[in-house]
Amino acid sequence: MITVTGLSKARGGAAVLADVELEVRTGGVTAIIGPSGGGKSTLLRCVNGLETFDSGSVSIAGHRLAPGPQPPRLLERVRRDAGMVFQQFNLFPNLTAQENVALAPRVVFGVSAAEVARRALQLLDRVGLAAFAAARPATLSGGQQQRVAIARALAMEPKVILFDEPTSALDPAMSEEVLEVIVDLARGGQTMVVVTHDHAFARRAATQVVELVAGRITRTGPPAEILGS
Amino acid sequence: MMAAMRTARNIPRGALLAGVGLVIAMSSGPAAELDEVRSRQTLVWAADQEGGGPHVFLDPAAPGRLTGFEVEFADLLAAELGVKARFQQGQWDRLPLLLGRSVDCVINGIELLPERRRDYGCSRPYFAYGLQLLARRDGTLAAFEQLAAAGPAGRWRVGALTGSAAEVFLRSRHDLEVDVIGYDGTIDSLEQVQSGVLDAAVMDDCIFGFYADRFAELKAVGRTFAGGYYTVLTARDTPRLAAAIDEAIGRLIADGRLKALYDRWDLAGRQQILALRDAAEIPVAGRSSLRQLAADTLPMLLAAAGMTLLLACASFPLAIAVGLAIAVGRLYGPAWLARLLTAFVEVVRGTPLMLQLYAIFFLLPQIGLALPAIVAAVVGLALNYSAYESEIYRAGLKAVPPGQFEAALALGMTKWQALRHVIVPQAVRLVMPPVTNDFIALFKDTSVCSVITVIELTKRYSVLALSTGRIVELAVVTAILYLVMSWPLSLLSRRFEARQERTA
Repeated sequence: MITVTGLSKARGGAAVLADVELEVRTGGVTAIIGPSGGGKSTLLRCVNGLETFDSGSVSIAGHRLAPGPQPPRLLERVRRDAGMVFQQFNLFPNLTAQENVALAPRVVFGVSAAEVARRALQLLDRVGLAAFAAARPATLSGGQQQRVAIARALAMEPKVILFDEPTSALDPAMSEEVLEVIVDLARGGQTMVVVTHDHAFARRAATQVVELVAGRITRTGPPAEILGS
Repeated sequence: MMAAMRTARNIPRGALLAGVGLVIAMSSGPAAELDEVRSRQTLVWAADQEGGGPHVFLDPAAPGRLTGFEVEFADLLAAELGVKARFQQGQWDRLPLLLGRSVDCVINGIELLPERRRDYGCSRPYFAYGLQLLARRDGTLAAFEQLAAAGPAGRWRVGALTGSAAEVFLRSRHDLEVDVIGYDGTIDSLEQVQSGVLDAAVMDDCIFGFYADRFAELKAVGRTFAGGYYTVLTARDTPRLAAAIDEAIGRLIADGRLKALYDRWDLAGRQQILALRDAAEIPVAGRSSLRQLAADTLPMLLAAAGMTLLLACASFPLAIAVGLAIAVGRLYGPAWLARLLTAFVEVVRGTPLMLQLYAIFFLLPQIGLALPAIVAAVVGLALNYSAYESEIYRAGLKAVPPGQFEAALALGMTKWQALRHVIVPQAVRLVMPPVTNDFIALFKDTSVCSVITVIELTKRYSVLALSTGRIVELAVVTAILYLVMSWPLSLLSRRFEARQERTA
């Protein structure tokens, strides 16, 4: 699904990512762990073209990203296949939960308003929030907001979903409800890459764990091997 | 934020003018009588140098120097009173308002009319004028009588100086198929006849005589008509100054100095003196009852208020749309476009609205683009305000967190889809209070449009106040009309602010 080859990126003269190699298989869940500032989020953002890189290449869902700025059309196609969930949720505050989920399919694919509304409701139900369809983000808890954000990413039916520290802004109880959703998606065979500090979660849900330290991949392997048991 | 920087613009011109009228009328402190004029050895006289020749104008041969037959007349008059003359500039149709404030008398082609005799001290005539109809040489207008039936393009469009006897005459002739358009300067109307915006203009014969060579494409249509006299205006409470001016004019007529002056200016001195010597007394107009005043003026004030409303409501949506487009173009467009738009905003913000309206209305016809006054006013207001709105929207767009843009892009939207569906809707909400505030400001800025002949509330007030002499009563009515129109907008603005505080 994703193949990262020799990817390097420097910012202000300092290397952020150095010669990163990564292989994400379809249907698998890859957890990227490592200390803060190690380049985990940057790697994730390079994969869907939110950031550029200096050398190497990214192949994702049949698209190929080269170093430097990429054509907008290519980026749009990449992002339709690779959904993203942010640490700070980034829900659209002026829209209801249902509208948040429905917006992109309507705008990007031109699906009818009635159809996207129906599917949005289904997706909210899947993350346990059907009762909050009409609520605006500001009235939801952090955990609920993140689950809406996951439903929003799912609405585009992406081939892979990238999670950028999805539970770092949440307290343990809320983290748990978000992790439940991710584990549930994993059972359904959804390909995912999750940047996380949560080793317990990585052990529970990941099929592959990658450790990134100071911009370099230091270890790659099954959870039991990398994290012990 | 931006709106706060513009509080100065929020002072309603109309209300301001009405307020000034109120203060002037209520604080009728004693005007300078003859003794005071003599003790300070200066007679301050008011005129509008924009009114042009041959009355009072800037000497083309000596820039900055004022000349004209009335400048010389004022000097003669002051000398007769044993003092020096000092000039004070004022807007022509509002010159009488200066009486008793900073000026002793008005000398500027002020026609002796019954209403003026009622409201001011009027000297004996010092100049005789006739009204002259002017049109293009290549036009179809060949006789005044033609105005009684519609022209080739419907009703005739005829310009006249606002508040002048020419305008009063035209407006009183309900039998004519004429739309009267009031101008603040006579040269403006000559230019508009020349460029084809107007079919004709009516003005004092001496003015056309003076400018005939400069506007060689124009011709006098028929002979002069509805003639009358110029008078020196003084305040009503300075009878001794008025009497001294009358005596001085009498001496200037008797000893031939006035004839010599008019001959120097090629104004047919002998005919002037013959006309002035035995001028018939002009009657004094009566003061209408309040009921009559309301019946006469309210329909016109309401119609003018409607014009104010129309200008504001037609131009502001345009200003918002253009302003938003400018803001988006500057922030997200290519570099060349951003530079172009920045230049536009700087030019528009750096020049007065009045000048922009002037350029659109008076200069565009010279390159073949003649817009009707109302269209020019709406375009001018919309362009001017679009620059200010674009700055507000720019701030609003920048205030939307960058994560919103990223989230939209990460969902596969294009840049423009993200702007259209995610960023702009949030920015528009964010800046609702300052934008509403600007609507109120624009609403009051519509009064500037009177410089391009649009008669809105402020202009109508000013014209009616001076023709009826009811400065205070009409000021109150005008102020109330402005408040009635802007109050709902203020309420709306406050509601937006309250809503924002709740959701913030």
